[in-house]
Amino acid sequence: MAMNRRKFFLNGWKAGGALLGVAAAKTSWALLQPLKSLASSGKFKLKDAENYKPGTAEYITAARVWVVNPGDGKLLALSQTCPHLGCRVPFCESSGRFECPCHGSTYNIGGEYIKGPAPRGMDRFPIIQENGGAFVDTTKVVRGPNHGSHVYPSDSKGPSCKEA
Amino acid sequence: MSTDLTEEQKPELETAAHSTGSGLIGRARQTEVWRSVFRHPPLNSPRGRALQSFSNVFLHLYPVKVPVRVLRWRYSLRLGFIAIVLFTVLVVTGVYLMFFYSPTPAAAYVDMVQLKTGIGFGQLVRNVHRWSAHLMVLVVVVHLVRVFYAGAYKRPRQFNWVLGMALLLITLGFSFTGYLLPWDQLSYWAVTVGTNMVNYVPLVGKYVRDILLGGKQISGATLQRFYALHVAILPLSLTLILPVHIWRVRKDGFAVERGSTGALDPKACPGRKASTAALATAAQNGDGDGRRVRLLGVVDRESVTQEEQVTDDTVFAWPHLMVRHVVATLGVCATVLALGVWFQAPLKDIANPNLTPEPAKAPWYFEGLQELLSRFNPLVAGILLPGAAVMSLLALPYIDRNPATEARNRKVAISLFSMFLGLAVVLTVIGFAFRGPGWQWQWPWKHSYIEW
Repeated sequence: MAMNRRKFFLNGWKAGGALLGVAAAKTSWALLQPLKSLASSGKFKLKDAENYKPGTAEYITAARVWVVNPGDGKLLALSQTCPHLGCRVPFCESSGRFECPCHGSTYNIGGEYIKGPAPRGMDRFPIIQENGGAFVDTTKVVRGPNHGSHVYPSDSKGPSCKEA
Repeated sequence: MSTDLTEEQKPELETAAHSTGSGLIGRARQTEVWRSVFRHPPLNSPRGRALQSFSNVFLHLYPVKVPVRVLRWRYSLRLGFIAIVLFTVLVVTGVYLMFFYSPTPAAAYVDMVQLKTGIGFGQLVRNVHRWSAHLMVLVVVVHLVRVFYAGAYKRPRQFNWVLGMALLLITLGFSFTGYLLPWDQLSYWAVTVGTNMVNYVPLVGKYVRDILLGGKQISGATLQRFYALHVAILPLSLTLILPVHIWRVRKDGFAVERGSTGALDPKACPGRKASTAALATAAQNGDGDGRRVRLLGVVDRESVTQEEQVTDDTVFAWPHLMVRHVVATLGVCATVLALGVWFQAPLKDIANPNLTPEPAKAPWYFEGLQELLSRFNPLVAGILLPGAAVMSLLALPYIDRNPATEARNRKVAISLFSMFLGLAVVLTVIGFAFRGPGWQWQWPWKHSYIEW
């Protein structure tokens, strides 16, 4: 393709315009990133292990986390956010399961998927030992177990909270 | 339907007294100042009326003259115009609300309560704003449906259909961002469910959601972002696209009414002059009145020549279309005012991230989608199906190349669209009225979980 003066400047304008467009997109994208300080994350202290009875779930409001004792003595910290569409999943005392009010996803005490439209089990956070105490670290999200994970019992203890 | 008219049906021009007058206004019209603002001749001649349209930026969006059939209510049900009126009502009430609202989690809900208890007519204005918003979504959707069944998206109006789709999406964006602003339980969880659907978009979904929310969960940053979208970005986008949409109706010519002249033959009416087919019918009936106006220099030669071959069945948009629009405006205002007086905009408890209400429902126009999401994998129900629906609607005028506008010659298009529409309506009604806590089936007459 022969490059004469007009073509050269025409292409120059196009390239300049494209460059401006890319710069604007990149800047806007960076500008709109969430601020780190706004995320509700950090380390939250747990009580001593014997306070968490087997088969119960306790809620830490500040961390938005369920601390459960599924019965094998090892505590789990489950994210309250349903992996389906983000509703808060409450623990149903009567059935001993997590039952999402939005679309009916149900999880066992260990946050494993039982039924409903959710794509996986409840996400969880690591529990770490530090300075002689246990902490939930909500800065690191661990993806919930896939469908078919059956480490914990999924039987219902009693009536579902939705039918009540 | 024939377009010929008797002489009695043709609206007459008013007498000269109308435009000049002899009173105070009449004298004012003759001053230097008035004439510098309104530079057209008196409106008692066709030339004056035509030049009024050309010299006025707002009237210029209208055609100077419209076919008589356009004046009939059932030609278009005035849906597009009604949507514009609703948008205007929303801008006016929205600006009023802005005086009393700050988009922070600490203040937003308190401001809502304050509107109700401490500000004169505050609750009424909020009611009118909310019901107008719901009505606007409804009217815009019905507008789309009507345009589809009329076949009015076909050549040369393909791109105007695309613009209309853009306006529909902007309208939904308006409604959705506005939904969060009261910062009550209803808004918080409806928007939680709505924005989590974005997560399922492959690759970019998570990043887009972060940008939209300003974080992983809905927070003060989200409220501020939605507010900026709601009061600045979306209004600007709509205000930019809307005039183009209206202007192109004029440029593309009015749609030929179904059954009036049969299919649009591209040879008989090249390019944008679709209305010539209708005018040709009038010509065959020998219906002439010599009231046509030649506007050389504005209308290109080809279309002037074409118009000269046929007889005029058009009337001036001002005042004949205008007065009908004024009536429609009054009707819409009366309706939303009555709704605002009789029905209160909901306000639940203050937003609580630690308590999901039962049931948590998306805004009504997304409840069909939510119903789908409860039945299928989220990638399919939340992204693939709605994405395919939006994309095929956007591309509809380029996919459906059949030039016919009457139903009997476009059975496939009409059947497919009707099935899609029926499915969407059924799913929305189920999600809206028949779902209770845990998304269980709930007969609405036993216990209603309908939220607006």
